[in-house]
Amino acid sequence: MSNAREKKRAKKMRNQPASVTLSSECGPCHGGIQHHNGGSSSFQTTKQADLHPDSSQEYQQQRPQHQSPGPSYRKEQHFSKGQNRGERGRGRGGWGGGRQNVSQEMPKYVTASTFAQARAAEISVMLKAVTQKSSNSLVFQTLPRHMRRRAMSHNIKRLPRRLREIARKEAEKAVHQKKEHSKNKCRKARRRHVNLVVEFNRRQKKNIWLETHIWHAKRFHMVKKWGYCLGDRPTTKSYRACYRAMTKHCLLQDLSYYCCLELNGKERELLKVLARMCSIDTGPTFAAVPCLSGRLQGSLVLYRADRYPEEVLGPITFIWKPQDGSCITSETRQLWIWTHPSLKQEILSELKAVCQCSEPVETCSPEPIVTLLQEEKQTDVAMCVGRKRKREDNEGETAVPVEKIIGDGTRVPLQSYCWTSQTTGIVISDLTMEILRYRLIGPLSHCVLTEALKTAPIQTVMADAETELNNWWVENCKNSEKVSLHQRQEAIFKLLQGIYSPSEIAAGTILGLTVGDPRVNLPKKRSKAMPNPEKYQVHPSDLASVWATTIFVALACTQFCAGEIVLTTDTADYAAACTDNEKVRQLLLEGVPVECAHSFIWDQTICKNVTENKIPEQDLNHMRGELLVPGSQLDLGPRESKIPILLVQQPGKVAGEDRPGWGSGWDIYLPKGWGMAFWIPFVYRGARVGGLQEGLKHSEYKRTPHIPNDFPDCPAGIQFAKELENILLEKFKRRPPAKRANYVKLGTLAPFLCPWGQLNRDWEVRNKAQEESVVTSSADSKSCATQRQVPCEPKPGLIIEDPQSGMMEEMTEIQNLCKEDGAATSSGFFVLRSRKLLKQLSARCRPTCGKGQRVRPASKLGQKEMTEDALLSLFKCYPRVLVWVSLSLIRKGSPELHTMICIPTQEDFLQLNKDQLFCGPQEPKHSDIFKHKILKLKERKKKKNNEKALESGASDALEAKAVEEPKELILGLWPDPLPDVTSHCSRVLLGFVTQGDFSLAAGCGEALGFVNLTGLLHMLSSQPADKKGLVLLRTPASLQYRFARLNIEV
Amino acid sequence: MAEPAPPTAELALRRRLPPRLPRRPGDVYVNMKTDFKAQLSRCQKLLGPAGGCAEICIHGLGLAINRAINIALQLQAAGAGGLRLAANTSTVELADGLEPQGDEDGRPPLARARNNSAIHIRVCRASPPP
Repeated sequence: MSNAREKKRAKKMRNQPASVTLSSECGPCHGGIQHHNGGSSSFQTTKQADLHPDSSQEYQQQRPQHQSPGPSYRKEQHFSKGQNRGERGRGRGGWGGGRQNVSQEMPKYVTASTFAQARAAEISVMLKAVTQKSSNSLVFQTLPRHMRRRAMSHNIKRLPRRLREIARKEAEKAVHQKKEHSKNKCRKARRRHVNLVVEFNRRQKKNIWLETHIWHAKRFHMVKKWGYCLGDRPTTKSYRACYRAMTKHCLLQDLSYYCCLELNGKERELLKVLARMCSIDTGPTFAAVPCLSGRLQGSLVLYRADRYPEEVLGPITFIWKPQDGSCITSETRQLWIWTHPSLKQEILSELKAVCQCSEPVETCSPEPIVTLLQEEKQTDVAMCVGRKRKREDNEGETAVPVEKIIGDGTRVPLQSYCWTSQTTGIVISDLTMEILRYRLIGPLSHCVLTEALKTAPIQTVMADAETELNNWWVENCKNSEKVSLHQRQEAIFKLLQGIYSPSEIAAGTILGLTVGDPRVNLPKKRSKAMPNPEKYQVHPSDLASVWATTIFVALACTQFCAGEIVLTTDTADYAAACTDNEKVRQLLLEGVPVECAHSFIWDQTICKNVTENKIPEQDLNHMRGELLVPGSQLDLGPRESKIPILLVQQPGKVAGEDRPGWGSGWDIYLPKGWGMAFWIPFVYRGARVGGLQEGLKHSEYKRTPHIPNDFPDCPAGIQFAKELENILLEKFKRRPPAKRANYVKLGTLAPFLCPWGQLNRDWEVRNKAQEESVVTSSADSKSCATQRQVPCEPKPGLIIEDPQSGMMEEMTEIQNLCKEDGAATSSGFFVLRSRKLLKQLSARCRPTCGKGQRVRPASKLGQKEMTEDALLSLFKCYPRVLVWVSLSLIRKGSPELHTMICIPTQEDFLQLNKDQLFCGPQEPKHSDIFKHKILKLKERKKKKNNEKALESGASDALEAKAVEEPKELILGLWPDPLPDVTSHCSRVLLGFVTQGDFSLAAGCGEALGFVNLTGLLHMLSSQPADKKGLVLLRTPASLQYRFARLNIEV
Repeated sequence: MAEPAPPTAELALRRRLPPRLPRRPGDVYVNMKTDFKAQLSRCQKLLGPAGGCAEICIHGLGLAINRAINIALQLQAAGAGGLRLAANTSTVELADGLEPQGDEDGRPPLARARNNSAIHIRVCRASPPP
């Protein structure tokens, strides 16, 4: 027989029950004697029927798939009495063979009961086979081709009647499986503006939407995080393009999800309270003079009150409202604290506890802010009411138009978001989503800002008597002092055009501004804002003017000056340029004056007014359409809105030596409601938009810790690590076991999380063990230490206090800290953030005699006559401390998340010295001691025939072994109580990487992570001078170690 | 520029980027990090037929002055008399940001000015003598 035929038969037989065989060849020649007792022949229906005219009638009455046993019984009795035994003896043979033996082995008799039983069993099997559909296909898909009709799935009535019932059931099932969708209205109705707004409002009840949500949702992968819907990364391929934008042009991010907490109160009280939550060790605090005056934005790390080195709350930035010039209300100050949403709850509750602000403000509050907040809440309520009414009369004719939610849509209307205290008089209010914040990163963010924004013109006449539009601005313009302030702000804003990059001005500079409606001067097409060379004023001593004055005269005949940037041949221009130059120079050196940091955005009444009196997009477009010359500039005149904004410079990369000022930019703060009005103009000026991933990359290239990934000691960081572990574990388990990396064999104890606690504990134990051994050979180490002393010279430019006294202070300080530590029973670990200690460490990490390198000021900086062992003994007080380090790969390799940082051995250095191209040692393969156990468990499980669906390789801990393995075993992962993490592999473990990738900015693999302080000091003390700070990195899924240089950047 | 900081305040000095003008296609800023050969070949490419620059301007600041001169001379040597150089020196005012390390304050300025030398070498194809 041909192959194809066999295949066909196999296909037919696939869905048959095992006890029944179907014959494919039932030609007419088998006519009368084809019925055996044992072999069944139930499925020949119609073909048989025409050969048996006597029984064909009965056949036609039956349904084809429900073949009733009746007729075949009769036939059996007719034709083949006594065939039973012989056939049974031979089993189910082929048809041909059976037929030949028929006449020879006729059974002598048939027992009716057994015969009937056998038939009954067969029939029941057949019935079962016929009724249950074993294929995945739908009913109409199983029909033969000639019975198919168009659109059968749509209309059941096109199916044969006998199949309709089944098809109906299937259709119902499909409907249930589909997502519940409110398809009760047609698309046109659903897309109608009113209905759309209702739908959008409903959807942002649970997770807050930013004002740019719809814009983002069309272009980004959205994620729900921290109670917000945020754009994660663009759907277009733009990894490198975003990097280029950061470095060369401008990257725009919506940071409105950052939370603003406002503190109001007397300056003294505020400072007293806040001083408990931060420490001077970590840098300038709230009381730092430039920040306190309101000139600069400050940033610091908050701790729980009086718990300084431990219990971090998280990093924040803060802005003080500048004092009024009149100094009458100088006592009460306003302070904004900007936090990441994942840290907000902790910080807010701690602030409330520290300020003793427990009672929510209800009514009797003299503060204008509070009343305002309540008003807003009332409007919220009104909004809700309006929506309800709309829902009730579904017919249409909306008397109350549904309002778009502006601000936080998840707020409970009657709950207070403002707290006060009777004792301290401090008022804390939660301004989440009240102020929008966009971030522009990149050197040309200046250009984007200055092109998109135009300062508001002075206005003395109201546009309309009845509306409140701009009344605050008109009021303001009547005061000549304020007008002059506005003009000064305007002048500074114009000067910004003459500065190439934001990194040229002081870090954290604040500039307040009042701008006109940015939608008015929107360009027709999206274009890239480029710096205009004409705006760049020439410095008298700078190159261009040198060219202009000297070269122009000397070489005027040649073509030298053809492409010159600025030709200031005109003397008047030249004079003007010189004065402007002076101004730019002053701006660079002295920063923005304090008065110019003032902005009306601090005043909530004005913000509210501005938000409410925004001209809708629709009206604006309508007005554009009515212009006499289509496409000409729209001039709104007095009706143009004036918006108070705040510009804050973000310093780029400040720590470290290379790429200073990389990734600097501006933050712009806006009153709510104006999000899209500012967003689109920025995008139209050529800013590329990035999401959360781009933000992560930005901080990675800047080598700054990212919130909350890189704060393993704060609650949000712990939470984040847990979530990340779950995600990674789930991803790991989704792979088939044979395709997973076996981390046990790779010697990776924790591929999905960083066991910081255990790392610190293990190092503590290790250190203690070493100390005991070191005591005997202490003389040796001391000689080492004296050798390594480096002559100290004060760093030029660094104005430091007397080193001796400073050191003494430090010593006592540290000892105090140690005592505190001891008191706190050193339960957890914390991250070292004291600047002084970090500086010393950083100086220690650098190679003291590098070859081919310029003489680095490494030795100058921190080593204030502190010998090695003195320092060591100091740091011994910190047994469980992590240090933030940055690592750059020396040769090959790109590190990943959770890469292990290890200490190289002496042999590794020897090999590196011998072979310059030496990549790094290999970790010997470990044996998987759990594999055997897992297999055993599996077998036992099979034996018991436990049919529970379990994770592959996981035991359910039901058995006797449950005592031994309380946790489920997963093939390729270490079960939970980890062994000593430091000494598990051939190289001693120092720490883990929390961010790592190939750095486009540095051109090599770079990583950021934490190492244990004890381990780091131990490593540094044993390394040769020219190889200081060299470590080995190993990714979790590899056996290869790679050399990297460790840096501590302060 | 006086030094108003009282001895109690500790300040850290952070160098800011030198002020710069928008870059034309023919501007080459020489630095000490990039490989010398790469910078030289970049200049050669710019001057070559595909580069499309009739003249380029090589800027060097501080330590990179030597290197800028070196590049210009190498270009000239390789150009076989087809290139002309015109060098100019200037002084660039740099700003160093001063960051207080603590809260005490003697009202220091935000930055301190510092001067550094710079060289600007114009390299162009020599016009045929008239």
